[in-house]
Amino acid sequence: METAVLKETFMDKTNKKLGVNPEDALVSKVYLSLAFILLLVGGTLGLLQGLNRAGLLQLPVWLNYYQILTAHGILLVVAFTTLFMTGYFYAGVSHTLGGLTSKARKFAWSALASLLVGTVMIMTTVVMGEASVMYTFYPPMQASPWFYIGLVFLALGIWLAGTGVFVNAASWKKANRGQKLPLFSFFAVGGYLLLILGSLGITAEVLMLIPWAFGWTETVNVMLSRTLFWAFGHTAVNVWYLVAVSAWYVAIPKIIGGKTFSDVLARVVVILSVILNVPGGFHHQIIDPGITQSVKFMHVFMSLSIALPSLLTAFAMFAIFERAGRKKGATGLLGWFKKLPWKDVRFLAPMIAMITFIPAGAGGIAQTNNQLNQTVHNSLWVVGHFHLTVGVTVALTFFGIAYWLIPYLSKRVMTARLNKLGLIQTWLWAIGMLFMSGSMHWVGLLGSPRRTSFSTYGDNATALSWDPYLMFLGIGGTLLFAGVVLMVYIVFHLMFRAPKGHTEFPIAEEEENASPTPKWTERWGLWIVLAIAVISMGYVIPIVDMIVNAPPGSPGFKTW
Amino acid sequence: MRQAMYGLVLYVFLMLPPVANLAESVMTIHMHMQMPLFVIAGMLMTPFLKQQFPRFFAKWNSNGVPGIILFMIVVIYWMIPRTMDEALTIQAIEIFKFISLPFLAGVPLRDSWKKIRLVGKNIIFVTLSVICGFMAWLYIFSPEQLCNNYLIVEQITLGWAFLFLALSIMIYFVQQFFVDRSECE
Ligand code: HEM
Ligand SMILES: [Cu+2]
Repeated sequence: METAVLKETFMDKTNKKLGVNPEDALVSKVYLSLAFILLLVGGTLGLLQGLNRAGLLQLPVWLNYYQILTAHGILLVVAFTTLFMTGYFYAGVSHTLGGLTSKARKFAWSALASLLVGTVMIMTTVVMGEASVMYTFYPPMQASPWFYIGLVFLALGIWLAGTGVFVNAASWKKANRGQKLPLFSFFAVGGYLLLILGSLGITAEVLMLIPWAFGWTETVNVMLSRTLFWAFGHTAVNVWYLVAVSAWYVAIPKIIGGKTFSDVLARVVVILSVILNVPGGFHHQIIDPGITQSVKFMHVFMSLSIALPSLLTAFAMFAIFERAGRKKGATGLLGWFKKLPWKDVRFLAPMIAMITFIPAGAGGIAQTNNQLNQTVHNSLWVVGHFHLTVGVTVALTFFGIAYWLIPYLSKRVMTARLNKLGLIQTWLWAIGMLFMSGSMHWVGLLGSPRRTSFSTYGDNATALSWDPYLMFLGIGGTLLFAGVVLMVYIVFHLMFRAPKGHTEFPIAEEEENASPTPKWTERWGLWIVLAIAVISMGYVIPIVDMIVNAPPGSPGFKTW
Repeated sequence: MRQAMYGLVLYVFLMLPPVANLAESVMTIHMHMQMPLFVIAGMLMTPFLKQQFPRFFAKWNSNGVPGIILFMIVVIYWMIPRTMDEALTIQAIEIFKFISLPFLAGVPLRDSWKKIRLVGKNIIFVTLSVICGFMAWLYIFSPEQLCNNYLIVEQITLGWAFLFLALSIMIYFVQQFFVDRSECE
């Protein structure tokens, strides 16, 4: 035990003195740079979409609305997030496990190659107008086969990146017998595990779609494809959320001068997320025909069970804030609220992200109900919903991470001026999203459809009544675009220009009297088996039904 | 004796006619939900029974082998398609199911698991996954309806569920060789 303690302080000291080693830093810097470049491209497309929907911008004939919408969706909700997650998790694994092993670095680089090949293939087909199928690529819309092959490379990249983290964690466990995996790395292992479980669905789907797109098979099972897609699509966004949550548990307590609330609780949140998540995909198919009533009923529960870890997290966060505030001398019921470092962007950005999750999560719970879903399905409400969850809760937490992660990697420090710019960026994002997402929610309730370029529907009165809201959507989108530009400026400034110096990687400590973390939390074999059991419980019955009782398959259509 | 209480509550709950009817209306849920839950109910009650009848367990199941053999026999019996049919049509067999799964499978399993050696455990894992694999093959590819009470679709569904079960047991079995048990128990 004593040697373990000694070892830790020794590691801490070397980490402080030397900081991150250059080889590990390079991995993360490349991933993060690419992520933010894609954010800029995707954000620009978002602006075009927003202005179009406001009726202010007519897109030229060579640039189709559905083409840019496909690119926007894939770049932001798949590519930006995957790249950021990998850069961030590898940096944290390197920091908490005393450097990456050379094997893990090799996995990281080959993952990057695969992700880039995939992204380039996908974007090329989209730009060529061969794949305006949106990021969900629902058949019977049929894209060029190379679009689907690009997706295979994305999946491969995810597996490689995940394997690198597993390998690194395993070799650390071997070298540090009897010690628990540091919380940050625990999140990384859980996050990749969940992402890989989810990606099995999309891989199976794409392997059906490729021969169909080449014309080797004539038809495709539409229901089955949609179901397999959402096993991934749903899981992926929950992984992005888990990545954000990792920073809330690990970094934020340190930034506000507090301690971890409970190491066990954080680990239980990871485990529950891994076990329960994948079957939630069905809540995206509540309106789909071909799924029996009873299966849909069962999935209400499977879907709501995912709210449990989120509620645990909300509880833990407020406890951390209150304790930290009281330690600084706060009194009264809500005095701690004022003691929080609101002027520190490393806190403000993720805090707004968390607060946003309250209405966003509530909206999500509402949508899971059959009747309410009928009202909002495929309307702009849904787009408003996920711009809150992914666009704010996840993206703004990622921005908040960047303010310390990037200077940590580039061995620079954030200046007061950059902090101020960061505060402006955060408020721009919050207000822009308030306008954009707020109006999307509202106009969606009034019936305005999503994924539809601007139209007055022959001056139909109902459609005209949407216009004022759509104008606000455009205004919000413009503010957001300014936020994107500012953010990308800050990121590259922190990477190449900010003054040299030491920035720490904030890792919160446990309370002195914290109870030790039980060893069962690391029974990954059991968690995987339970996850497979839950996935089979959710999927075996409906999928066999979809295959055995399938209607004739559908040939491909090019709707654009 | 909290555990025994939970076990008893679960046991009674599963036997309530509406619950039993619902669970038995879908073939996969019948075999892969109701039956395992009965076994779990028995497992939960085991410590209580051992406390009540310590001599009995010591005498008949001293090294765990008789218990585990009994467990395997009962479980395999209930995997046979015909027995499921009979449980639905013959009242006495249904009652036998309610008794055999918890008390002749769940209880001996928990009592034996701590007693048998590692080789024994490994044999059980492999045997179970092979049997499940075989059942998967049988239910998926059988051209005929094996149970009078269930349609062929349900049979195929059950086959796939067996495949996943076989896979899960296999994964669990294999991962133990990579993970140091003392590290996480
Ligand atoms: C500059 C900031 C942004 C603006 C102005 C913006 C605007 C929009 C607009 C107007 C739509 C299309 C609505 C429709 O016609 O259905 C859209 C769709 C979407 N956005 Fe954004 N967005 C922004 C940032 C983000 C971010 C950060 C993410 C995720 C990380 C994101 C993910 C998505 C997704 C997944 C879709 C759905 C695409 C589809 O329906 O196929 N957006 N966005
Ligand atoms: Cu979902």
